Amino acid sequence: MTNPSQDKTPLLEVDELAVDYGLKGVSSRAIDCVSFALRAGEAVGLVGESGSGKTTTAMAIAGLLSPNARVSSGEVRYRGNRLPIDDDAAMRPHRWSETSVVFQGAMNALNPVHRILKQIAEPCMLKLRMSRSEATARARELLELVGIPADRGAAYPHELSGGMRQRVMIAMALACRPSIVIGDEPTTALDVITQAQILKLLGELRSQLNLALILITHDLSVVAEACDRVMIMYSGRIVEDGTVAEIFAQPKHPYTRLLIESIPNPASGKKMIRPIPGDPPNLVNRPSGCAFHPRCPSAMAVCATEVPSLDKFGQGHVACHLHRFSQKDRVAAHA
Amino acid sequence: MSRRIGSILIRAIITLLMVAVLNFVLFRVIPGDPASLLLSGARTSVTAEQMAAQRQNWGLDRPLFPDQMVDYLSATLQGDFGYSFKFRGRHVADLILERLPATIVLVGLAQLIAILCGVMLGLYAGWRRGGAGDHIATGASLALYSTPAFWLGMILVVIFSTALGWLPGYGAHSPGAITSSLDWLLDYLGHLALPVTAVALGLIGQYVVVARAAMSDVVTEDYMVTARAKGLTGGQMLMRHALRNAMLPVVTLITLNLGYVVAGAITVEAVFAWPGIGGLTVEALNARDYPVLQGIFLLLGASIVVANLIADLAYGLLDPRVR
Amino acid sequence: MSESIAKYPHPGRTRAIKNFLRQFLGYGGAQLGLICLVFFLVMAALPNILVGPLQTAINATGDFLAPPSGDHLLGTDEVGRDVLNLVVHGARISLTIALLATLISLIVGTTVGMTAGYYGGRLDVWLMRLTDFFFVMPSFVLALVITPVVVEVIGRGQEILGFRPSLFVILVVIGMTSWAFVARIVRSQTLSLKERTFIDRARVVGSSNLSIMARHILPNLVPQIAANGALVVAGAIYVETSLSFLGLGDPLQPSWGTLLSLAQRAGAASAGAWWYLGAPGVCVLTVSLSFVLIGNALDDTFNPRRRVIP
Repeated sequence: MTNPSQDKTPLLEVDELAVDYGLKGVSSRAIDCVSFALRAGEAVGLVGESGSGKTTTAMAIAGLLSPNARVSSGEVRYRGNRLPIDDDAAMRPHRWSETSVVFQGAMNALNPVHRILKQIAEPCMLKLRMSRSEATARARELLELVGIPADRGAAYPHELSGGMRQRVMIAMALACRPSIVIGDEPTTALDVITQAQILKLLGELRSQLNLALILITHDLSVVAEACDRVMIMYSGRIVEDGTVAEIFAQPKHPYTRLLIESIPNPASGKKMIRPIPGDPPNLVNRPSGCAFHPRCPSAMAVCATEVPSLDKFGQGHVACHLHRFSQKDRVAAHA
Repeated sequence: MSRRIGSILIRAIITLLMVAVLNFVLFRVIPGDPASLLLSGARTSVTAEQMAAQRQNWGLDRPLFPDQMVDYLSATLQGDFGYSFKFRGRHVADLILERLPATIVLVGLAQLIAILCGVMLGLYAGWRRGGAGDHIATGASLALYSTPAFWLGMILVVIFSTALGWLPGYGAHSPGAITSSLDWLLDYLGHLALPVTAVALGLIGQYVVVARAAMSDVVTEDYMVTARAKGLTGGQMLMRHALRNAMLPVVTLITLNLGYVVAGAITVEAVFAWPGIGGLTVEALNARDYPVLQGIFLLLGASIVVANLIADLAYGLLDPRVR
Repeated sequence: MSESIAKYPHPGRTRAIKNFLRQFLGYGGAQLGLICLVFFLVMAALPNILVGPLQTAINATGDFLAPPSGDHLLGTDEVGRDVLNLVVHGARISLTIALLATLISLIVGTTVGMTAGYYGGRLDVWLMRLTDFFFVMPSFVLALVITPVVVEVIGRGQEILGFRPSLFVILVVIGMTSWAFVARIVRSQTLSLKERTFIDRARVVGSSNLSIMARHILPNLVPQIAANGALVVAGAIYVETSLSFLGLGDPLQPSWGTLLSLAQRAGAASAGAWWYLGAPGVCVLTVSLSFVLIGNALDDTFNPRRRVIP
């Protein structure tokens, strides 16, 4: 930790990662050319429609790819070392100790036949080699940490409310003191108030424990509340990344712009919510060129033939042909 | 918790009552009343007066409902199932009690073997589903599931008794003098081997199918992904998270089968002339010995209802969600 | 609008049927089951053309318990009848009993389930209590006591609808005791269908309860009924075989179960006459397995489980 070079190395680097799923002999690419870096204590949002590859990206990082998934190129590095993400057994020591996951809809993510305290204590016993009593004590601590009285530990998952179950899930995720927590739509099944509470809790725990947080969501407003940086995914590729402030103030990719416009925002005075026209792309037969071009309001001829690369633009990156021309041309193209 | 148990108990009692009422109704619609049926076999001819006296004696002159039915139900409750036609004058309850142990031994052993093999094989197939072992186990168990157990028994006799001469295929004991109790036991076990195998094979198919389905449902559950994310090994995931959830439907099936299997073994017992309830059933059917049939039906009904009751209660113990 | 859903074939409906067939026939089990089934149905339809009229002890030609040979492909029984002849004729009897029993079971189960689900209230409670009884008590156990009594009541003389009385009773009793599972499934489906808007629309238009059930609810239940029907047939074959084996069948119209019963009485097993008891048993196994496979494939087609792709 005192090694100065380690401070320069990001906690996590994803480099040109591509993952395929094979189903009945048909192979489809779930993510392609995904690259980004994550520093310790940073909170990044990963936003996209279902099927955009955000979950596959997260599962790849956590080493939880399903058996029919194949890493066809690229790699993931953790503290500078390559992770064997396509080797289930080799990833085992990494899981939960370094990267843990808060799953969506904690009802099914918690085992219905075990008491919650036991489920939180389990990784402490198995991964940290704690004794049963130590693990139980740690689990009680964790429950208090997420705002649940430790005595509720004797409850079964079905006896708790949705928000409580999500807190239990968070407590469980912190059990082995990981450096990265991935939230896989952690607030999707919850009502707005509970959602805000959970996001607040995650934010507090992040600064308290210096956690890096990857928040997967289809909801940009969740990202705005909880993240420093955001990456927008479309059809398996990152199409734009940047700081939250930058993206909201000045979205560069047409898709990002449409996403932001589709957020219902009573404060802005806009009455109409504009849904994005067209359907999400088919993963097996992806459109040629930029996958977004059939739905893009600013599509040009080049968009149908050439895949745009993710280039540096301002503070962040964007993958759009519009921005490969000069600033002047861009203004002209928009006009 | 007590409300659930209460409603389970009430349902069990209603079902039992329906079995008893069905029993009463069925055996009153047979042409000719019980008195003439029973006395028709008498050696000396029966006079009309004797018949009338007997009818009065048995309460057959009173109205069917409610008098006779109430009589029947209260007698049944006291364990009085009437007298057999065939085994002249013997109590049906005695006949059944005499035959029950042989059936319990047969069915109990078969259950034990079927549970050990079938459940383990099914859980394994479900855990490794899609693999070669799974395909073989599933195919074989579907075939066993579709095969009448008694026919398996006949095939076993042809192979192991007639062709190879390894095991006896008839009765429970060899004729002739038995010298020691060890010889007696070995002889008994030899006679048990084939019928137990037939009943067990019939059950294994079912257990494999259900255990496999339960396990393959469990492995797609979200909490299994959580377990994997926690860095558990395959064995830990199986033992700590999958097994107990997968066992829920399996335990239910096992308990239910405890009730059904007495009935299921009837045909197998018939093949092997096993001196149990099945043998008694066949004898009663051939002789139209209705009181015995009635008693057997009551026994089967009661065992099924009790098994259901245990299954419902056991489920509550295993699954915290239904407590 | 709502009329058109049920009455006229929707342009999407033919495509849906095509899709269904493609998916259903994609299962290896379904293919195997259908092939076996067609084979046995042909056998059941044309026994006289295939093997000549049913042999009896009088017109039997072979030796007693002769093993398979060129003359008798499946050997002979204890009175010299050709086992192939018996088995082919048995196919007709076993299959008709099983299919008719299933028909009764489906009609009763659908009626009870739909009535209970549609009307609800006290009727529902009582019908479901009745269903519970038949759900708990296996068809075999009920048929075991009901069949001999009913046969005794109606007598053993005349044929009923071409069946010997005991066979007719067996098929009715199996049908009347195996509907509980269907009733439960139909009820729960009806409960959810009842809440759909097209039912409300039909009600507003003024359709009677009966016509709503027949025209709007029933067509939507077909998938469930079909998948369970296949399993009911397999169960019916099993029960019929077991009952006939215990001697409740009729030797004048021998089903596969009756043949097994005759083989048992003739001591075929201890005489090593594997052909005599093997042939009917293999038939029972094959037909019953076919229906199970078809039922499973139908179930998989109609209720696709979660697939592995995330």
